[in-house]
Amino acid sequence: MSISPEELAAYADGELANDALARVAAAIAADPDLLRQVEVHRALKARLSGHFAPILEQPVPDRLKQLLVGTGDVVNGDGKGGVIDFATASARQRARPRLPGWNWGGVAIAASLVAALTFTTMGSRDSTGSYAGAKLAHALETQLVATQPSDAQPRVMLSFRNGVGEFCRAYGSSKASGIACRDAKGWRFEALGGATANSDSEFRMAGSEAEVLAVAQDMASGPALSAEEEAAARASGWTD
Amino acid sequence: MRDHPFNPRRAKTLSTLFEQRVLELLPRLRRFAVGLAGHPADGDDLCQMTIERALSRRDQWQEGSRLDSWMYRIMRNIWIDECRARSRRMETFVDEEAGLSVGSDGGQEALVALGDVDRAMAKLPEDQREAVLLVMVEGYSYKEAAAIVDCPVGTLNSRLVRGRDALVALLGGEA
Repeated sequence: MSISPEELAAYADGELANDALARVAAAIAADPDLLRQVEVHRALKARLSGHFAPILEQPVPDRLKQLLVGTGDVVNGDGKGGVIDFATASARQRARPRLPGWNWGGVAIAASLVAALTFTTMGSRDSTGSYAGAKLAHALETQLVATQPSDAQPRVMLSFRNGVGEFCRAYGSSKASGIACRDAKGWRFEALGGATANSDSEFRMAGSEAEVLAVAQDMASGPALSAEEEAAARASGWTD
Repeated sequence: MRDHPFNPRRAKTLSTLFEQRVLELLPRLRRFAVGLAGHPADGDDLCQMTIERALSRRDQWQEGSRLDSWMYRIMRNIWIDECRARSRRMETFVDEEAGLSVGSDGGQEALVALGDVDRAMAKLPEDQREAVLLVMVEGYSYKEAAAIVDCPVGTLNSRLVRGRDALVALLGGEA
């Protein structure tokens, strides 16, 4: 019974299951040459991965980022718009009195979405705080925005420093969203919200995530961490 | 509960969500683009075209589906179109690199970044290169990779094997 190169590659890439897996595995066990071919396949895969991996750590050219930030700035078009530059937006916000019920006209649709959301920020009176459980804490401790899978659960949206210099991270998942800041004890919840993915409607999803990001803007003392800053923060254990 | 008077900043955040998610994907998109194009500058041009097309077709992306796969498909299609439209230029491009790599003593800075792997990848036909990149670098399953390049899984599997064998031969046996 011969094993095709395609089957062998599929085996090496973990693509086989059940009968096909058993058949190829048995053939490899009986034939050192097949095993060697699997090893060559995996060695090439490791070499290619290693060769292209540094690109993930490089700073993204500004001309690419510029295509994505600033396009949605409906506020005052200072040319720096976009979520990433939220320290500027936050400062602008503080400079302007907040008027409940203020009519912003052209953005009424978005307003109705925001009104439908529930989002709770923890009061500062809660000095004991509550902390992320093991699974979420692990994700917050290890995932980087730039390299996490796009369907990660939870997905970290961004990282920033709060007013007292702690690292904080906004995250979302199919179950919950929120913001947690790292202190000596762990990842302390600062805000908790609803699901940001796979919830009942597209609008709810977008709204929840937007809400988390908006609260992050209020809490941040500077811009969101860049990919390099985030990697450095992780390397330091988020304690600096 | 936190009081939420509406303010325009939130509207801005809403309208930039799509951009924010694409922004998060940029490092990976650049990796795939550089792999396809074989050169960092060409890769970033490809990335730019991909972002522009994605923004103009954002209503075609289905919420809940994988944004990364959707973006990769756009990028791959742009690249294939570019190659077909400008095949003469691309042949020249590859010839130049092959010539430089043989004839140069390494004194030219542009060559520093061009390693054995880049030269070997440049020799693969497009369909094999994209299969190798999607599976061996980007880590997609055969099924996901086949969906991105729009071919049957078996075809993807065989392109991968042919590309792999060519690379192993070019890079020297044991990879």
